[in-house]
Amino acid sequence: MILISPYAKILPNGTVNPKNYPFWSELLAHISVPVVQIGVDGEQQLTQDFRKNLSLTDLAKLVNACTTWISCDSFFQHFCWDLGKPGIVLWGQSDPLIFGHPENINLLKDRTYLFHNQFLSWDLIPLRTDCFVEPAVVVAALQKFL
Amino acid sequence: MPANILCSISTKGRYLTTLPLAISAVINQTLKPDRLVIFDDNDEPEDMRKEPIYQHLFQILNIKGIEWEWLWADKKGQHYNHQKANKMNFKWVWRVDDDTIPEPNVLDTLYAFTDDNIGAVGGAVLTPPLIFENSNATGKIENIYTEPNIQWGTIHNTTEVDHLHCTFLYRAGICDYNLGLSRVAHREETLFTYGLKQKGFKLLAVPNATTWHLKSPSGGIRDNNIMSLFEHDEQIFQNTLNLKNHTIVVLNNGMGDHIVFKHVLPDIANPIIYSCYPDIVPGKSIKEAIDMFGDIEQFNIYRKMDEWKWTESLENAFRKLYVK
Repeated sequence: MILISPYAKILPNGTVNPKNYPFWSELLAHISVPVVQIGVDGEQQLTQDFRKNLSLTDLAKLVNACTTWISCDSFFQHFCWDLGKPGIVLWGQSDPLIFGHPENINLLKDRTYLFHNQFLSWDLIPLRTDCFVEPAVVVAALQKFL
Repeated sequence: MPANILCSISTKGRYLTTLPLAISAVINQTLKPDRLVIFDDNDEPEDMRKEPIYQHLFQILNIKGIEWEWLWADKKGQHYNHQKANKMNFKWVWRVDDDTIPEPNVLDTLYAFTDDNIGAVGGAVLTPPLIFENSNATGKIENIYTEPNIQWGTIHNTTEVDHLHCTFLYRAGICDYNLGLSRVAHREETLFTYGLKQKGFKLLAVPNATTWHLKSPSGGIRDNNIMSLFEHDEQIFQNTLNLKNHTIVVLNNGMGDHIVFKHVLPDIANPIIYSCYPDIVPGKSIKEAIDMFGDIEQFNIYRKMDEWKWTESLENAFRKLYVK
């Protein structure tokens, strides 16, 4: 079983977080192992098994039980790092050298897509989808854990 | 290598009394600052270029090669202005009050004491008539309520102190002024210089660098002589003092940031923590931090990383902010 954490926190102004990976449906179509989605109320359900609003204790149990995980740049990648469970982080405009952990597979399409100021609030950063790697790149990386 | 010194004057209510004297004294320094910035904090600002005395002073600044600028300030108090000077990308800032006259050797003397370990250097700030000449003040923070400020009397020997006041030369960009203080900004320079000390830099009170203080009944912070504001600021100062042996940590940021911070926590000396997510990093509430210290922006790790033009990990940024 692998975990996915598709969405970063909803922005204060209600807009989509630019850290969200835009190709989840295509990606999930290429994954044959059981997938559990974790998240909170209000997020789009992408898998049959969607576990929402878990306590940190329950979330930790789930992380410890999974084979690996895939996440955008959000709280979840830090949480798994803290638990010592490596996984895959899908980066767009935020910099894995600052906000990532080398223990993970950090998939960044190209550093030219990084936003020029990494420390602004994310509601000031434009939404773009061309900055993320294609699903095939993620699937290839996932094979290293399976 | 150029000294890279900004001279900063915050002014209010002294257009045609002591401010021209202060500017004249800056002009006549044996070591010239690279730039003079004047923050005009007057409630009703005026264009001083129409005044002949200022026309002459501005011309002399030009002739002497001292860049200058006159900025309309936000009327929030001089600490806001000093903070702007602090972030103007100079290595050193010499803050001069608008009712003081530094003797011509002051900047040169203060600058001569700077090295990589120095956070700030101040000389005597004498207010006639002299009444603190034999006080034997130590400049230690624990004596602040029991002795006069060491700068109020002639300084005979170079003395390492815990805080400075009024006018001094300081290393810019290390500490922030506490913008939670009220408009009267009581204790602002004490808090600021003590912050430099807590960052591990030395503060010196040095001889032969006398500034004359023309203490005026009007202008400056005395224009807002409201006791409650002084009490508010004094409370922030006392709260800081009471925790002087602790490292104050304020985590007003996201869950992921808290998790990363957890890995830095064991290396922080005697921490007192204020946390958004006490289930991740136990601590008191952010509201308590604001009540205690007034301003918590100095703990904003994202603003710090922006200021530092940070390219390393978030974890290392926390280390830079909190691990001495």
